[in-house]
Amino acid sequence: MKSFLQYLGIEPERYQLAWISGSEGQKFADIMTHVVAEVKKVGPNRKLREEHE
Amino acid sequence: MSDNTTKAREIAKKLLQDGTVAMVLGWEKGDQPYVSAPAVVRDDAGADRLVVDEFCIHDLAALLTDYRDSSDKIAIFAKGCDARAIVRMIQDRVITRDRLYIIGINCPGMKDPNEYARAESGLSKAKPADKAAKCQSCQYPNPVIYDEILGEAQQPGADQRFAEVEKIESMSADERYDFFIKEFSKCIRCYACRNACAACNCRTCIFDETKPQWVGRSTDPVNNLLYQIVRTMHVAGRCIECGECERVCPAGIPLMLLNRKLIQDVDRLFGPYQAGLSLDDDAIPPLSRYRVDDPDEFM
Repeated sequence: MKSFLQYLGIEPERYQLAWISGSEGQKFADIMTHVVAEVKKVGPNRKLREEHE
Repeated sequence: MSDNTTKAREIAKKLLQDGTVAMVLGWEKGDQPYVSAPAVVRDDAGADRLVVDEFCIHDLAALLTDYRDSSDKIAIFAKGCDARAIVRMIQDRVITRDRLYIIGINCPGMKDPNEYARAESGLSKAKPADKAAKCQSCQYPNPVIYDEILGEAQQPGADQRFAEVEKIESMSADERYDFFIKEFSKCIRCYACRNACAACNCRTCIFDETKPQWVGRSTDPVNNLLYQIVRTMHVAGRCIECGECERVCPAGIPLMLLNRKLIQDVDRLFGPYQAGLSLDDDAIPPLSRYRVDDPDEFM
């Protein structure tokens, strides 16, 4: 899916998948921080939005 | 009348007369010389309408979904691609092997009726090709499964399955996005691609659901692209590369660019795999089975 979205021109940073168990609170926090940091780097999304001109 | 047509009619009549099958799925001439339309025949008069010529491009296997709930035995004509579609249908439990009598056709490649229609009406000045685009790089012209067979075995075409995908990949991310949005702005959401597809055999299609409505139904470029992203993901690992989706598309959207990309991904993640080649247990599509050593990066 990630590679497919990349193929369609979507930044791969925007789609991340991770397996996190209910007991892995720290892992969840770390991954979420990582996701936010990565998405901030690429900036606001302009693609695949309904209001596309 | 061609040799194959004569033989096809004889076989159909014999099967119907001795009660081996209740119906035969084949092709008959349509309203133009370049149209051979799918036909369902149940008697001798019907069998006399059957043809096997260079315009029998329709994949008949997709029609099997209409008979999934009946118990009739069906004889079906199958080119190389149709035979792979039938294997997929059996693996997806649409139909059982014992309900089918498969008459294979070693296929030299078909001509594209759309090209002839465009040339004849003057819409296009291009001369129709000897072989439809989808047939030119066909890797399996000879049926992989059959009860009897017509014609001489054929050589596969040149393997250019991923050439176009690589061309797209050489573009930048923004160029790729603009390219696909431009292509999908032409989509009219007729769902012909889904209806012609042998892998699209779900009883209830996600795109027909309205509660909840998974994908927007308006024909704007983004919803059109989202529709095809979902459809491509759903047939991933089950697409037999028959190219019917692209051929039936009235807007001429290069849909196989998406399907081939996912085929390439499945090859990369799960090892080389081509759908619909065999009924063996180890030929089940990688995304339809579970193995301990499956890669984590499947999404």
